[in-house]
Amino acid sequence: MSTDKTRGGHPTASDAVSRRSALALAGSAALVTVAAPWVARAQAKTIRIGMPTILSGRVATLGISSRNAVMMEVEKVNAAGGLAGRPIEMVVRDSKGQPQEAARVVRELVNTDGCEIIIDAEASSAAFAVHEVARDLGMLTIHTCSETSQLSADPKLRIPNAFRCVRQGVHDSVAGAAYAAKIAKEKGLKKWATCSPDYAYGRDTTAEFIYYLKQFVPEVEVISESWPKLFQPDYTETITKLLQANPQAIYSCIWGGDLTAFIDQGNLYGVFGKAAFFAVNMADYTVLTAVKNLPAGVHSGNRYIKTFPTTPQNAAWGDAYRQKYNEYPTNWSWENAAAVNFLAEAAKKAGSTDGKKMSEALKGLTIDSPFGMNGKITMRAEDQTIVDYAIGWGTTIPKEPYMPNVTPGDWKQIVEYETAWKKSKGYL
Amino acid sequence: MGAPSIPRALAIGAVAFVALVAAPLATGSTVLIDFVIRLSALAIFATSLNLLAGYGGMVSFGHGMFYGFGAYCFALMMQRTGVSIPVAFLTTVVGAALVSAIIGAICVRLKEVYFSFVTLAFQMLIHAIILAAMPLTGGDQGLRGGVPRPVFLGVDLSNQMQLCVFSAFLLVASLLVMHHVVASPFGATLRMIRDNAQRAAYLGVAVDRVRLKAFVIAAVFAAVGGVVQALFVSGAYPEFAYWTMSGEGIFVIMLGGLTTFLGPTLGSVIMLLLNDVVTRFTHYHGLVLGIVILVAALGLRKGLGDFVVERLADRRRQEAA
Repeated sequence: MSTDKTRGGHPTASDAVSRRSALALAGSAALVTVAAPWVARAQAKTIRIGMPTILSGRVATLGISSRNAVMMEVEKVNAAGGLAGRPIEMVVRDSKGQPQEAARVVRELVNTDGCEIIIDAEASSAAFAVHEVARDLGMLTIHTCSETSQLSADPKLRIPNAFRCVRQGVHDSVAGAAYAAKIAKEKGLKKWATCSPDYAYGRDTTAEFIYYLKQFVPEVEVISESWPKLFQPDYTETITKLLQANPQAIYSCIWGGDLTAFIDQGNLYGVFGKAAFFAVNMADYTVLTAVKNLPAGVHSGNRYIKTFPTTPQNAAWGDAYRQKYNEYPTNWSWENAAAVNFLAEAAKKAGSTDGKKMSEALKGLTIDSPFGMNGKITMRAEDQTIVDYAIGWGTTIPKEPYMPNVTPGDWKQIVEYETAWKKSKGYL
Repeated sequence: MGAPSIPRALAIGAVAFVALVAAPLATGSTVLIDFVIRLSALAIFATSLNLLAGYGGMVSFGHGMFYGFGAYCFALMMQRTGVSIPVAFLTTVVGAALVSAIIGAICVRLKEVYFSFVTLAFQMLIHAIILAAMPLTGGDQGLRGGVPRPVFLGVDLSNQMQLCVFSAFLLVASLLVMHHVVASPFGATLRMIRDNAQRAAYLGVAVDRVRLKAFVIAAVFAAVGGVVQALFVSGAYPEFAYWTMSGEGIFVIMLGGLTTFLGPTLGSVIMLLLNDVVTRFTHYHGLVLGIVILVAALGLRKGLGDFVVERLADRRRQEAA
């Protein structure tokens, strides 16, 4: 601009004027740039979706993988015209995993940022706190990370505007126990030990797994139970206890970094050579790729794995995610991606982005999905939670594809036992 | 520090109350409404901790247990018994007094770091009980299903605006009562014990009894803070009774000031503003908060409230000279 003129001397009056006008020009240009998205949004009637999740602390990886998956799917939805013609704008905010902070963030997202829909990517207690905000404010909410069955099973908690697009503890336990029962019968595994983290998820999931296993194979006997603390760095005590008990099979629902540490330390003592190991959370890429010497033949449930369902759509989704973010998706990734797919489909069916109409459309909605057992997932109408998602068990190998053969669970059997479980809890 | 006469205190309280609720009422902004509710919970809690730490010289690492107790006791009463809100509130206050009297009777006999660690131990005990009593408390998932809020005396706390006014009222009332405690002869005795317990004992003060009273008063107000939090989130979670909650209280006091009565309240405002603004832009809020604390600790060498009060006093002295 005018800078070359002023070089080597004091600026003249005309220089100053031209600089001032140049500044004014730059200023207005900046204003336009800043204001442009607002103008565009007003024109296209962007719909904002709020997403509280855990972006800092110990499980931040899972929160980030949730955000990644949502962003990837939102791009596709927007390219196809958005939600009933309205492009989606995501507002993702960190809740630090604290219930009171999650509640505050969601209130802020709805009340201040104008979010019309909430994708609640919170685990355990924070998901329940968000659920209460949804009850209070009435916005359409999809829980995408809390596996606690009670969230959708308990009719006292149910509200018409909240849905859950997550696998469930009780589903995993029935499918896992049915798979384990088959192997237990074949190999005569009667003496079992359990080793799970000492909090609600660990205790409940383990109790349910053993309960169903005993239903299928009454001879099974639990000879040792260990409850290491969540995020415990040292498992020597647990491993020694397991070795002393000398079980024929071990069940564990330890997850994430804890499972990596447990396996690395267990390997030193040769735990996994002696007993069959059933670890429901093993086949998760974050664990599979982090373990130093992954023992072959660990039995695991699927979390997210490219090889199951064995469809090109599923493999393509996993590859696309990996290409975009340079790592494989997690269990939370598919759950969040599926939630966006459900929203897109519900808006299409309702022909609107109105929360009430979309809620009605979501009830009983079946969508095509790479994560479905038969290419489809259904949002069950009576308890507003998903069924028919991919659920299966298989054994691991220490390299890609990590879990080549997965035995699919039987959804008819799962629902049958789930119904009995609900009755026993007084939910039905 | 003399206690203001009762009418004067009430007048100050009325002005503070109006100032607190004016902005939310005038604008109807839900952010301001939520802010005042959360501020009330945190400021009551932090000031009650300062009653112990700042005025009593008893740095409790376990004060969060009474905050958690308040939240759980109130929420459970509302969920399970169907009593009215004032009854549940009073029961919570009385319950907190009883529990803290038992815990305090053991803790206040210990000095300095031993006191801190025993309070921490009791906190872990309470936290463990909350986790273990699954059928009652919901364990680590928290108390679910919402806190019912039947209308009492024409007040409907399921209306967020009314909850905001109610919380502001509790904040002002709590601050007035705590200030009265601090300014009373009892408060003077407490400070004397803080500065020199031995001398106080020689003057005929029953040191442990005074410390126990302060412990119970502080616990009662921490529980009141917990009630406000329970109403805000419509539930109770074990995080409220965890040591991080006590840590946040100490953080807030450090930030706002230890020796100024309103320091913890100021600290709560700063803490919440920092959190809310920073979280909007980055998830490295821990880093930002750490830097602010460093600046306060190394730069000001005291909380902001103390810094301002001392500066004003200096200036007044210079003008007088």
